[in-house]
Amino acid sequence: MKSIMASMRGEGFTGAVMSLPYIIFFSVFIAFPIGFSFVLMFHKWNIITPMEWVGMRNFGRLFHDAQFFKAILNTLTFLVIHIPLQIIIALLLAVGLNQKIRLRGLFRSLYFMPVIVSGVVITIMWRQLFGFETGLLNMLLLKLGLAKIPWINHPSYAMPSIAIMATWKNVGLYVVLFLVGLQNIPRFLYEAADIDGAGPIQKFWYITLPALNNTMVLVIILSTIGGFSLFIEPFVMTGGGPMNSTLSAMLYIYNQAFYFGHMGYSATLGIFFAGIVLLVILVQKKIVEQD
Amino acid sequence: MTRSDLFYPIILAVIITGLSVSCSRDEGASQGARSGITTITYWCSSNPNEIALAKELVADWNKGDHAVQVKLQPIPASQSSEEVLLAAIAGGTTPDICSNMWPGAMDEFINAGGLVRLDQFPDFMEYNLQRVPESLMGTFAASDGHYYQLPWKTNPVMIMYNKKMFREAGIAVLPKTYSELLAAGSKLTLDRDGDGQIDQWLGFRNIKPIWWQRFFDYYAFYIAASGGQTLFDGDDLIFENDASVEVFDLFRQIYKRGYFPITEFSGDQFVGEKLAISITGPYSISSVDRFKPAGFEYDFFPIPVPDDYQGDLYTYGDHKNIAIFSTTEYPQETWEFAKYLISRQADLRLLETSNQIPIRKDLLLDSLYAQYFTEHPMMIKFAEQAIFTRGVDGAAELKEIFDAISQEWEACALFDARTPTESIHRAAERAKVIIAWNRAE
Repeated sequence: MKSIMASMRGEGFTGAVMSLPYIIFFSVFIAFPIGFSFVLMFHKWNIITPMEWVGMRNFGRLFHDAQFFKAILNTLTFLVIHIPLQIIIALLLAVGLNQKIRLRGLFRSLYFMPVIVSGVVITIMWRQLFGFETGLLNMLLLKLGLAKIPWINHPSYAMPSIAIMATWKNVGLYVVLFLVGLQNIPRFLYEAADIDGAGPIQKFWYITLPALNNTMVLVIILSTIGGFSLFIEPFVMTGGGPMNSTLSAMLYIYNQAFYFGHMGYSATLGIFFAGIVLLVILVQKKIVEQD
Repeated sequence: MTRSDLFYPIILAVIITGLSVSCSRDEGASQGARSGITTITYWCSSNPNEIALAKELVADWNKGDHAVQVKLQPIPASQSSEEVLLAAIAGGTTPDICSNMWPGAMDEFINAGGLVRLDQFPDFMEYNLQRVPESLMGTFAASDGHYYQLPWKTNPVMIMYNKKMFREAGIAVLPKTYSELLAAGSKLTLDRDGDGQIDQWLGFRNIKPIWWQRFFDYYAFYIAASGGQTLFDGDDLIFENDASVEVFDLFRQIYKRGYFPITEFSGDQFVGEKLAISITGPYSISSVDRFKPAGFEYDFFPIPVPDDYQGDLYTYGDHKNIAIFSTTEYPQETWEFAKYLISRQADLRLLETSNQIPIRKDLLLDSLYAQYFTEHPMMIKFAEQAIFTRGVDGAAELKEIFDAISQEWEACALFDARTPTESIHRAAERAKVIIAWNRAE
């Protein structure tokens, strides 16, 4: 008994030591900033001057800040375009890659590659592709006898263009998730469907899709959270323009903090926005659970 | 693995970390202590030309018989120098002196107690007035009436133009007014290869709604159109005026007629001979000279003004100044080094090494600089223009106000969604709200 206790103490100590790096990381980079943000909400602070207590003034400002609500609306617009696009493309690719085709392994790697490349690098690359006068996409359109498109230079096109780019970057991750889901569907379901004379579309609709329900929930929640944190793409590609059409909530919060030095106000916006994200995720979860 | 197995590696790691931290912390101090020499730290811009200039100046200073030695370090890389300086003030890691101070950020640094008041030095004003025109000197005073920056250099914004394109378009007289600029635009915006697509434009401006981009279109033209006004007069916002409206309207016409494309370009399209003009400062000369194709000719002309404008031709000066940080333990010695940085000889090196204009009223009269201007005749225009420049106001809300202007610039000039009068009014109203928010007690 004594030796078991000693061994448990030893394991406990080892466990504590092993966990220590993450506990430090969590405390410094997650718990402290969140706690500090709650303090900042009631202060005016630009990092270099002492904090000034402003009570609820940051909230008063928030509810009169039309640009912030425009940024939230832009983010929701992005989500509405990006999530369905991402799910449809990822699902189609996953179904394709689940077939016995040549070079399947190579294709799987290729589709995943953009996921591991830096977002900044990809955004700079797509900025070149989207260029109105010298971009490759417009050169291609001209060769086909079509008119040039102001991909990122017109308020109506800019956010859909960013959604296309974000989909291209992230789709590989969701292809992998769908592939895992597809490979977990029992073969006998398809064999039974074959005996019943079901075609490919019926099999997809009545077997594949319902069997992927759990994966779909995961994909929707992950892309929603990812979509709400839209930042690098507008920051590097458009700066939030044209006419604020790509100003995402995260970009606006960042600008308030690091361009204009309103740390307190930025923290208020951040916490308010986190509340909205939480609410949307809860609603999503509820809807999916009901289905 | 047991507790004893882990004990010694952990202790060893702690000791190694502790030793490395303490050694790195004491490195600078112990060097000074060992040699018995007082050292101050000088941050220069991270631009290669300015690093070269600073290296020369510091090497010469350190050879001389001075109470302090200077250790040079370019400003650490970041999106902007101001961000680095803000972080340094917050962390108490500022250098003794820095020569890349943008006047628009000074108020923040002053309010944070980050800067040494320079007019406490008895020879401050006398030394500066030998160099800087009195009317310009006044624009560098802080809102408390004191001076925290030493005027150093200016990059007057002018119009760089491709002489061959102008010649081929039959433009013999350079545009001085908005009508003349628009007329030039109609001749210089062309489909050169006849494929039905425009491939040569009058000019181009970065269309991203980034506040400082407006210094090189709206603000330079506004200062010119208003005869040298800035956004504020004292504490009053004054940019909701005819000059602003005329500038917005000019660019609305330019974009509407396609003289400037609404696009992203990679690379310098002026050197690539796709653009007839570029709104820029003298710092572009070295890069254009380096990359221009054979037979490429260019020159500069002042910012055009409204057709009915009369008076001196002003522009945005893009000044960069020198400041001493309050963390310095040697203010007097640092002040002596600051004076050296703006001495006649140092100004000559500034011209020679970086093609930037020292703020010096006798620049074209002083025989020391005569040879430089003979060898660089293009720079004479900048030297003449330097007297007629304005910087930015020292308001803490400046970035946000320029951001508000930038938003309206997009809506009006680029996309013609609002009239110039409406846009300027909206920008001014937003600026008032920003000031009210920021200054509310």
